[in-house]
Amino acid sequence: MSDTATTARSADVVLETEGLTKQFGGLTALEHVDLAVERGELHAIIGPNGAGKTTLFNTITGALDPTAGTVWFDGEDVTEMAQEKRPHRGLARSFQSNQLFADLSVLENVRIVVQTARSGRFGLDLLGNGRAKYRDAAFEYLERVGLDGERTTLAKNLSHGDQRRLGIAISLATDPSVLLLDEPTSGMGPTETQETADMIDELQQDLDLTVLLIEHDMDIVLSMSDRITVLNQGEVLATDSPEAIQENEDVQNAYLGGMREEL
Amino acid sequence: MSGDASQTESTQRLRDALADGRLEQWRVPLGLLALVVFLRPVIGHEFLLNYPPFANTILVWMLFAASFNVLLGYTGLLSFGHGMFLGFGAYGAAIGLTRFDLPFTVSAVIGLAVAAVVAYLIGRIIAQRGEIYFAMLTLAFAKAAHFIANQNYGGLTGGSTGIVGVLPSWIETERGVKYVAAGGFQFDWYYLLGAVFVLAALAIWQIARSPFGRSLVAVRENEELARAVGIDDKRYKIWSFTFSGVFAALAGVLYAINNQGSSLSTLTVETSGDIILMTVLGGANYFFGPLAGVFVWLFSEEFLIEFETLVLPLAEYPLVRIELGGLLSYWQFFLGLLFVISVLVAPREGLWGLFRSGIGGLYDRVRGVRE
Repeated sequence: MSDTATTARSADVVLETEGLTKQFGGLTALEHVDLAVERGELHAIIGPNGAGKTTLFNTITGALDPTAGTVWFDGEDVTEMAQEKRPHRGLARSFQSNQLFADLSVLENVRIVVQTARSGRFGLDLLGNGRAKYRDAAFEYLERVGLDGERTTLAKNLSHGDQRRLGIAISLATDPSVLLLDEPTSGMGPTETQETADMIDELQQDLDLTVLLIEHDMDIVLSMSDRITVLNQGEVLATDSPEAIQENEDVQNAYLGGMREEL
Repeated sequence: MSGDASQTESTQRLRDALADGRLEQWRVPLGLLALVVFLRPVIGHEFLLNYPPFANTILVWMLFAASFNVLLGYTGLLSFGHGMFLGFGAYGAAIGLTRFDLPFTVSAVIGLAVAAVVAYLIGRIIAQRGEIYFAMLTLAFAKAAHFIANQNYGGLTGGSTGIVGVLPSWIETERGVKYVAAGGFQFDWYYLLGAVFVLAALAIWQIARSPFGRSLVAVRENEELARAVGIDDKRYKIWSFTFSGVFAALAGVLYAINNQGSSLSTLTVETSGDIILMTVLGGANYFFGPLAGVFVWLFSEEFLIEFETLVLPLAEYPLVRIELGGLLSYWQFFLGLLFVISVLVAPREGLWGLFRSGIGGLYDRVRGVRE
């Protein structure tokens, strides 16, 4: 684990955490997490509920300040960087729960994000009709996730699955190089889950994305991932290829064994 | 079948136009013009208030409400101290004119500048506080402003009497009606007030529809998501507070002319509370909502308070008299009831939202569109 520091900041590692620790009062949600995400890979984070997966996302994106440790993004220490600056560097995320601009139209949800990506985190742009700017670019993102038919629907009136897709479109609209997806298929049926997985695969190819994925569906994880990191009680159990992870004894004992029987 | 297809297509086009604000482009400016043109004859009608100058007061409050709604409606911030900025405008204009012998416009501009700076600084301090702390801190700052004006330091603010009998040199009064007298022309003050109102309201509307305004809406809708996609919510809130304060101060400048001075009441918690109630009653979700709220509130106040008998001249009966005095003197109770109902039903919709959904439902019924 300690040799990650030397591989750090090498050209093919785009996102890295070093000794990342997050405590909530007496509870340690993340304990010394070392994680290196290589450019262009699909890297899955798995682990039982409460393993600290979402907390890891929150500390990487800056929604939470880590108690200790460092986050490197694109060779730069971003640990102290304000959260709203990170998407402009190319680090984007989707949320586990549907975080949307609920009372706005589907198109406007994405359009505002395109506007933000192109004009910066703050601007006193007081002229013109905001809702007409970047409409076409926003529409393209809707087409990518298959929501072009719903452009005038209010986000809150979408079905659950469509809300998940809109969440992905929103994170895509920040024009990321690294995309953190927090359970993009949660609450979806088998067909929808497979569709979403295919969509992520396609997006990754088309947009040249590095994807860090939290996912519960083991079929999806094992078939899609280049590498898998297993978290347990805030600690990294193992990081390896899907095949090696399945064979890993620690993982089997702590986590996968139980899952396998379910499958 | 093709008829169906073309109808859904035209419906979709209409939805698109509604969604991206293309219709609003005409609706709001025309609506504001119509408002100024029709307000005075309606208010002045003998069956109603029979007092045209009251339209002036309504316009001043409408501008105040529109400025307040930049915060509440578009940014989702609730200020309990917005009367403070009305006061900055009114006191700024009155103090410059009476204490320093400055021309009115110069005093007014100073008032606006002070409001802008103070709003920006207060915004910086409180923008990132949680909802309840934001509300409490605005209240505290407004209380401080009220205290300072009431103390009358250096004889500037005139204490509890405020500054009375102030008028710019180009305003003349005749039997309680104000006229603008400039370069040999003389016209009713309402027209200048109306022009300033339309321009200022249009500016507010433009701010709200601009890319900047859309970012405010994103912050209102979901602060956490806004930050996660790269919106600097704190700075947007600070600037929203600043713009809101400046336009409130402009309403204060108009107030100073309209009321011939500045009164301490502008700085009271009651004024700050009234503007919240009017805005919410009218509907914070809509540009015209707060204006409607002001109209209903002030009209009820003036109309119902002195209403004792409803006299209907109908052809069949020479005169129908309905005694209402006892009942309508409780107008505040009825308005309060209306307020409670509108908040319970849809807190951000208000009367204007009801009105719009009524119109929308009617339109759908006429077109035969069913949900």
